[in-house]
Amino acid sequence: MVLRSESAVAVPARPLSRARFRIKEGTAFGWMMAALPLLFLVAFVGYPFVYGIWLSLENRSVARPAVFVGLGNFIADARDPVFWQVVRNTFVYTIVATVLKAGGGLALALVMNQNFRGKNLVRAMVLLPFIVPTVLSTIAWMWILDPAFSVLNWFLVHLGERPPGPSWLGNPYLAMGSVIFVNTWRGLPFYAITLLAGLQTIPGDLYDAATIDGAGSWHRFRYVTLPLLQPVILIVTMFSVIFTFSDFQLVYVLTRGGPANATHLFATYSFDIAMSAGQLGRGASVALAMLPALALVIAALTLYMRRRRW
Amino acid sequence: MANRDMVGATSSRRDFLRVAAAGALGTVVGVPAARAAPTTLTFLHDSSFIRDFDAYFQNQLAPRYLKETGTKIDYELTSVGTLQTRVSAIIETGSGADVLLNNFNWPFLYDEKYVDVSDIAEEIGKAQGGWYDAAKEAVVVNGKWKAIPFGNIGQLMNYRIDWFHEVGYDKFPDTWEELLEAGIKLNEKGHPFGFELGHGFGDNHGWIYPLMWSFGAHEVEADGTTVVVDSDEMARAVDFARTFFQKTTLEDCLGWNDASNNKAYLSQQISCTNNAESILWVAKRDFPEIAAVTGQTLNPKGPTGKRFHILLPWSHSVFTGATDIAAAKEFLRWLMQPQQLEGWYASAESYYAPYLHGYDNAKFWTAEPRNLPYRESLATSHLPGWPAPVSRPQAEVIAKYVIIDMFAKACGGANTKEVMKTAQAQVKQIYGQPA
Amino acid sequence: MVMRGGWRVKLLQLWLPLGFFLLFTLFPFYWMTVTSLKPNAELYNTQMMPLLLYHPTLKHYVDLLTQTSFLLWTWNTMLVAVVSTAISLVLGTMLAYPLARINFPGSALIAFAVAATYLVPQPLLFIPMADIINRMGLGDTLTSVILTYPTMLVPFCAWLLMGYFKSVPHELEEAARIDGASHFQAMWRIVLPLCTPGFISAGIFAFTLAQNEFLYALIFLTKTDVRTVPVGAIAELIRGDVFYWGQLMAAALLGSIPVAIIYSFFVEHYVAGLTAGSVKG
Repeated sequence: MVLRSESAVAVPARPLSRARFRIKEGTAFGWMMAALPLLFLVAFVGYPFVYGIWLSLENRSVARPAVFVGLGNFIADARDPVFWQVVRNTFVYTIVATVLKAGGGLALALVMNQNFRGKNLVRAMVLLPFIVPTVLSTIAWMWILDPAFSVLNWFLVHLGERPPGPSWLGNPYLAMGSVIFVNTWRGLPFYAITLLAGLQTIPGDLYDAATIDGAGSWHRFRYVTLPLLQPVILIVTMFSVIFTFSDFQLVYVLTRGGPANATHLFATYSFDIAMSAGQLGRGASVALAMLPALALVIAALTLYMRRRRW
Repeated sequence: MANRDMVGATSSRRDFLRVAAAGALGTVVGVPAARAAPTTLTFLHDSSFIRDFDAYFQNQLAPRYLKETGTKIDYELTSVGTLQTRVSAIIETGSGADVLLNNFNWPFLYDEKYVDVSDIAEEIGKAQGGWYDAAKEAVVVNGKWKAIPFGNIGQLMNYRIDWFHEVGYDKFPDTWEELLEAGIKLNEKGHPFGFELGHGFGDNHGWIYPLMWSFGAHEVEADGTTVVVDSDEMARAVDFARTFFQKTTLEDCLGWNDASNNKAYLSQQISCTNNAESILWVAKRDFPEIAAVTGQTLNPKGPTGKRFHILLPWSHSVFTGATDIAAAKEFLRWLMQPQQLEGWYASAESYYAPYLHGYDNAKFWTAEPRNLPYRESLATSHLPGWPAPVSRPQAEVIAKYVIIDMFAKACGGANTKEVMKTAQAQVKQIYGQPA
Repeated sequence: MVMRGGWRVKLLQLWLPLGFFLLFTLFPFYWMTVTSLKPNAELYNTQMMPLLLYHPTLKHYVDLLTQTSFLLWTWNTMLVAVVSTAISLVLGTMLAYPLARINFPGSALIAFAVAATYLVPQPLLFIPMADIINRMGLGDTLTSVILTYPTMLVPFCAWLLMGYFKSVPHELEEAARIDGASHFQAMWRIVLPLCTPGFISAGIFAFTLAQNEFLYALIFLTKTDVRTVPVGAIAELIRGDVFYWGQLMAAALLGSIPVAIIYSFFVEHYVAGLTAGSVKG
């Protein structure tokens, strides 16, 4: 494949400058490489993607023919108070969980980047929350967050709190806190392990040089570690934002959006409308309302990756 | 759509092989290929909490049908929470199963993709003592039977006989007001109630709608257009629910799902809840001492002097995209014959209460007399959203938990007028009416 | 980074925070283990301290292994996850390499288009995707999910790998090119080996996502013998409003611990395989 690409550009119609030649050759190589995966993505995501957008412009129920309504579904969303609550919830959920995962993940990566006995075991064990199937671990959390069985409630009640103690999923604020906590629990290990991989690629000489220059551990972290880790942190964060923003499984199993919509997210609300109510068009419009925010994140990521050379 | 269904159905390799094989056979023995019966039908169901019920179909009924007709039945199981997703995907893509199980109002939601089975329904009804009225409410769409009702998963009051006795009640309270009084006493003794108010699947509707109805309140009038969430009756129901919740019920109920009350009851946290037979059934298996003191009874009466129950019908439909509609109908007709039905119902005791009067005195009703109220409750059971006819907007009101959340917010402390105003506006918006 | 000083520093910098994180991540696993070993009578007892176990029983494990097709589900899950991860890493590399290391016309557009595949969320994609799978006649085959999972995994792998590919200095590659290596050879021999941690990182992510996936597996895999662990467990251990808690927890543990062991092997390798001296211990 590569040989062909080389020969294709090896016989140019007219002599080219070396720079020009390299660009053209690179182009051919680039497209040769990217063609297959792109074709795959277009074939499998292209149709569903267009279908989703088309659906959002229709009044379309399961088992019924569609009527084109333009932006009608989106206008209906804008008038729906629950929709705006869902918007707020999703932003709170995403922002808080991402901050916790990023901060905690970095801290854990730094801790694990030290030399200690059993570090490989620890590194693997820490990944467990990420490995176990989400639907099943969430079912475990249903017990852990049940006031009658929660360890925290057990201690609180034994310290004199009126039984059964705080209701982790029944109180709207605690419920949001709980789903964020579980999301953090699930997502933090991947952050940590990815950032650890990033930390490992930082050449040790840089730290030596900084130490010779008299930098303390905070300065070494601030001026050596952080800048070099920045690209990895950014990419992981961006993807974490995308996945958290469109999270479905966790909330669906744990609260299904309750109590009184306090934890409903775009994906769960859209799913309820599309599946339980059979309103595919409306459901699609709710899901697609995520698009502007996500597109912004993705555009920022693209720009950053294109501009930066390191 | 029809075109797509054709493509979907014929492009499956299995079907292609079947058609090809049938065709080859046809040329050999001289039978027209199109007449050949399908060798396999897929029957979609949700995993019954009673394993014996599913086992009965797999080990008894399916082999019997294979022996009698040569048609194999694939009994596909999924969990109750995922069934509707499966059904939607099958209906939208045009293939996947031939006979489908419905919950609640699905025959109305998917009626255009369901085959009219009125002929089977009439025949079965005539032969087996006639249908309950509730059966018609559950499956008759525009005068046509779009499904054959199978059984009702009734929701009743499940309560601790011993604890009620301790606070002076030898009989379960007859009205909501009396239940509130009992609840206050029980709560003081550390035995609160546990009624789900979260985004579960059935136990929330199971008590909120009957409560509402018994106060004379509903969300939409029988005409299917007049929204009456914001009414005096509703205000009284909401006010009562708030008092009831705050004085008797665990706060955690606001975040419950359908499994939560089973768990709370069996772990002896609560003295009363609204549920199907599954609590008593599991108690008898794992906690005999709890089973011995568990009672099941009809829902209390409201100020109107009437009591109500939720209708949670299981019914079977033939999908218009079935590989062979006639064969699928034939299977359904066969399934509904007494030889099959009796054993299948009995394998689940009375969990799926038959909609046919012919089974009113069946043996499985006497196996556990505490289950008898489930039979009685059918006369006063209705689908969520009643008395308005089932419609898409109504399904959306239910899917968005508008009514449940109105009550949940009030129970959390919100002002009655406010929650009613919000819910009224939401329902109106869903029905496409100016606020 | 650099550890100096005595045990006090070590306690503060290492053991205390490490203990905290281990408690945070592993506590639910302790819970799952205890739950999976409790008989139902003990599980439902609110009077007991919830963390203790008085009468351990293996009943839930026995039931899980004898009454369901759990081992088959595990095998299906591993097969699906391994193959779709391999596909995703290869396709991801093919996308990421040119985007990260060659500036050619159209590359920005490709980069954006790849990430944009995340814009339509999965809860919506599954209906058209089911249509495609049906038309291809792949319903109820593991191929259906092996083909669809990479649609979620390739974009992520590509983006993550881009970061690692970019971090390899251009000089290394140019030196190889001057020595007569082709683009492909430079990539294969110089750049890719240096990015092993990236591959492991992306591989872990892809593998985990693939074995966790629920919605596509639910729709495409409907016969019990082609199901994956999450779908099989949910479909057959949640029955009406009765959850088989003990068996669900046993399934969670049995489904994840083998993977953790495989990961520990990889994690060790990617730490060991790094340039010596890059980290001061």
